[in-house]
Amino acid sequence: MGLLVWVMVAIALWHFTVFLPDRWWAGIVGAFAGSVVGSVIFGLIIHTGTIPGQNDTDFLTALESVPGAVLGMAAVWFLGIRTEERERLHHGHA
Amino acid sequence: MSDRRRSLFILLLVFGLIAVSAVVVATKETKLGLDLQGGVQLVYEGKPTPQQPTVDQQALDRALQIMRERVDAFGVAEPELALIGGRQVEVNLPGVEDADRAADQVGSTAQLYFYDWEANVLNEDCRTNDTETDGGTQAIAGLRAAVERASKCTDVPEADSSVVAAAPRFYAFNKISKQPFQGATGLESRQAALDAVPKEDRENAEVLEVPKGVLVVRDEKAAAGKDGKEPPAPDRWWVLLDRPALSGTDLKNPEQNFDQRGGGQPIVTFDFTDKGRKAFQSITRKIAQRGADNSLPGVPADQGSQSFAIVLDDELVSKPVINYQENPDGIDGSTGAQISGGFTIQSAQDLAKILQIGALPIKLELISRSQVSASLGAQALDQGLIAGVVGLGIVALFLIGYYRVLGLVASLALLIYALYFYALVKAVPVVLTLPGIAGLVLTLGVAADANIVIFERVKEEVRAGRGVSTAIVNGYRKGLTAIIDANVVTLLVAFILFILATAGVKGFAFMLGLGVIVSLFTAVLATQAILFSLRGTRLIRGRAGLGSSEQRFNPRKNYMGASKWFFSASGLIMLIGAFAIAGNGLNFGIDFEGGTRITAPLEQKANVDQVRDVVRGAGLTDAEVQTINNPELGRNLVQISSRESGAPVRAATDALDNEFGVAGQPNEESIGPTFGQSVGRSALIAIIASLTVISVYIALRFEWKVAVPVLIALMHDILITGGVYALTGREVTTSTVAALLTILGFSLYDTIIVFDRVRENIPRMPSAAFSQIVNRSMSEVVVRSLATSFCTLLPVLSLYFLGGETLQDFAFALIVGTASGTYSSIFIAAPVLTHWKEREPVYAARERRIKERLGYVPAYATVEQGGPVDVAPAAPRGGRRGGVTTPQDPSQGVSRAEFDDMVANLGIEEAGRREPAAAAARGNRPAGGRRARARGEAPPPPATGPAPADGEGSDAPKPKKPRNRKHGRPR
Repeated sequence: MGLLVWVMVAIALWHFTVFLPDRWWAGIVGAFAGSVVGSVIFGLIIHTGTIPGQNDTDFLTALESVPGAVLGMAAVWFLGIRTEERERLHHGHA
Repeated sequence: MSDRRRSLFILLLVFGLIAVSAVVVATKETKLGLDLQGGVQLVYEGKPTPQQPTVDQQALDRALQIMRERVDAFGVAEPELALIGGRQVEVNLPGVEDADRAADQVGSTAQLYFYDWEANVLNEDCRTNDTETDGGTQAIAGLRAAVERASKCTDVPEADSSVVAAAPRFYAFNKISKQPFQGATGLESRQAALDAVPKEDRENAEVLEVPKGVLVVRDEKAAAGKDGKEPPAPDRWWVLLDRPALSGTDLKNPEQNFDQRGGGQPIVTFDFTDKGRKAFQSITRKIAQRGADNSLPGVPADQGSQSFAIVLDDELVSKPVINYQENPDGIDGSTGAQISGGFTIQSAQDLAKILQIGALPIKLELISRSQVSASLGAQALDQGLIAGVVGLGIVALFLIGYYRVLGLVASLALLIYALYFYALVKAVPVVLTLPGIAGLVLTLGVAADANIVIFERVKEEVRAGRGVSTAIVNGYRKGLTAIIDANVVTLLVAFILFILATAGVKGFAFMLGLGVIVSLFTAVLATQAILFSLRGTRLIRGRAGLGSSEQRFNPRKNYMGASKWFFSASGLIMLIGAFAIAGNGLNFGIDFEGGTRITAPLEQKANVDQVRDVVRGAGLTDAEVQTINNPELGRNLVQISSRESGAPVRAATDALDNEFGVAGQPNEESIGPTFGQSVGRSALIAIIASLTVISVYIALRFEWKVAVPVLIALMHDILITGGVYALTGREVTTSTVAALLTILGFSLYDTIIVFDRVRENIPRMPSAAFSQIVNRSMSEVVVRSLATSFCTLLPVLSLYFLGGETLQDFAFALIVGTASGTYSSIFIAAPVLTHWKEREPVYAARERRIKERLGYVPAYATVEQGGPVDVAPAAPRGGRRGGVTTPQDPSQGVSRAEFDDMVANLGIEEAGRREPAAAAARGNRPAGGRRARARGEAPPPPATGPAPADGEGSDAPKPKKPRNRKHGRPR
């Protein structure tokens, strides 16, 4: 159940990325993947590798997903910027 | 074959099938499932026994055969027994009312053994004492204490030659309450015992091991009461060395009789085989001699004599005394013997029959038991049929109101569809269940959807200036791709559900799949034949007759521009849903968690607290009680839900009967935790398999980049539905999962309609930004998308309001899912695809170019942004089609073929074939081209309203445009 909550919060947060300029690595789908993967990894880290069961979730479980999702999307964003710059340099040299 | 001949042929086929269907419907009976006619359903899971250490196919087949013989012997009409999954056996017994008796009759292993009692009873020191009656010990109170004693007996004689206890057995208990988790018998491994423990109780669970050679058996029951009812099983136990002297295979001719000496109590008498007779005489002689040896002076022989024990499936059935004075040389088995003890006439007859048929080769654990009363079944059938008829009626009304003559034809096709379907259900025959009725009602929506897709195409063609006949031909031709794509996806989902889901859901899946196939015939072929035959008649000559008069609603909106706000709204809804799931959790029903639900009409009025006190006192400590208002099922109706199953449930129903009186047979549904887990697992596998298959299909039919937004939209639908369930606290059942999977199919229907149009418009708009292509596609199909969703919702609403409790659960998930699916197709899948595709070099270049010219990207393509707005697509040049949303050469803004078509469409062949179309358009060339102007045709007037002048979507009637020679499209 914890996994479902993490993923759901991650996807919910991802919806708001449409307000940001599209500089994600692999676009909006990359942001989606970053958000989901980030929230799951972060959740697993703070729960030391376990996933809260059906009766172990509370509002905090949902909040735990937020930093992971944001970090995941941030990572995809910086990856996107780096890829853009590399491509610009490549085209400049060419 | 000409169109008219083909139509005639199809119509003849349709009428022929109507005649055949009418005959089938009139002559064949409908086979009703248990939920519609009442009866008992039992699901067993095969477990290994020491004699049969592995549950293989052969053992299961043999078990199934023996169970079938037992069911036949008990005279149940039309029983159904089937192997399901790897190790499960499902038994459906229509018309049977006593679930307990049915379970005993069908599933008891019937392993019968005879023991020298005093020589095998173990005392607290794990020793036997054959000098005293009952081995000098007493029955142990509570299974936990007995198992604890048995677990210490690790060094017992002849353990290796043990038969029943040839391997250790494992028992799981609650450390606090000391109650067992797995029933009275142990399990084959520690893991199996742990698996029997519900997850939330794992922390408080302990597993004890009873070593091989040692048995824990339940003490014998008291004699049956005067009321003829069998007494409850006692919670007293013996620990026994497993050294049987005889087994059930050593007897023959078992039958129920009455004990002439013991007050006429029901007994089971039997004869011995030759081997059995010798063994019986030998063991009774030994017992008699020992009784004589240990007799004390002054003690009567009947008190000092010892016993032998008859143990059936780990329960002590009786313990007759061998009087050493009457039988000093034992008992000659030539006259047979008898089993007595606590039998009613019925239970003695049952045991006799079971012994006659023989023991099961494996142990069968009852993991699910449900009992439906005949009155509830009849009510469910009535409600389901009313919902179906009303659903059909309102769908027909909608179609006629919206599409006039076309709708009338579609309604006729729906009626034909219903007749064919019903005839098929009778002819196959398909067992009609409640979920099956839901599937049937739902397919009415599917059948109507196909017609809507075609009719909207026809309307488009008519509005574009085509004649009615041509519009109908084009409508069917162009609409077919989307219909096939959408129906294949629904069919795939139905197939996956059928393969992976549990029995009830299987019925739904079968009906859905069958319905999709039949509906393709009636909604596409039959309506096409009827309409083709009507071409040229007065009925469909006018636009108004087709419901294709001017649109009041202007669908040309900036969908992609607004999607940001809809995206945010979705995010917000999902966030609320996530917090609801985290805080409230999902209310999983007993289908997943295991437990029991009893619905009982009481003779005396009782409030919730009174009922709760009674059932909790009887052992259902976690019972939740609610009253239900359903006069057809009886007065004072109460529903009791508990996580318990088995003995405490029976004790609770008995207590309820004693206290308030239960009118008739209560409905009871009991699911074991292992069955619940397997249901949950199969549901998860079904969802993942559906998503995978759908993705592969979409990737193949469109391109892989389309599959990703589709998947995201589907996740969106599932999660939003989950969130709504958490918010409302509604119970999640197997019906909910079936509905969720159906939602996937329906959500895709809408998405495919949108993407199909995007696919069609891409080659027509070689200079447009992707958002403009999607906006135009959306404006063209949004009415259609809304109409199909509305048409699906109509029968679902009928199910919700008229379908009764079970169908209501199902319909609720469908209502939420259909709404979410429509929304996600328009505002999630399409924008994600747009965002993603706009990054591709070709579309990025187009967007840059438009921004350079206009400073912004208009919602719809305009002449001012440069390049042609709409060109006829190039005909596919043989071979396989490429990526359906990719121009032929992504490095070019416009492909060669597209460029040639633009040139042809703009009529600039003579002006210079090298000039790019974009350049031609920049010159503000009047629409119509040189040839048209040469023919003296007036150019079309500029479009009115906010719509740009792209020649489409305007509400004003347009003059007929010149035709493209190749395709017959307006330029």
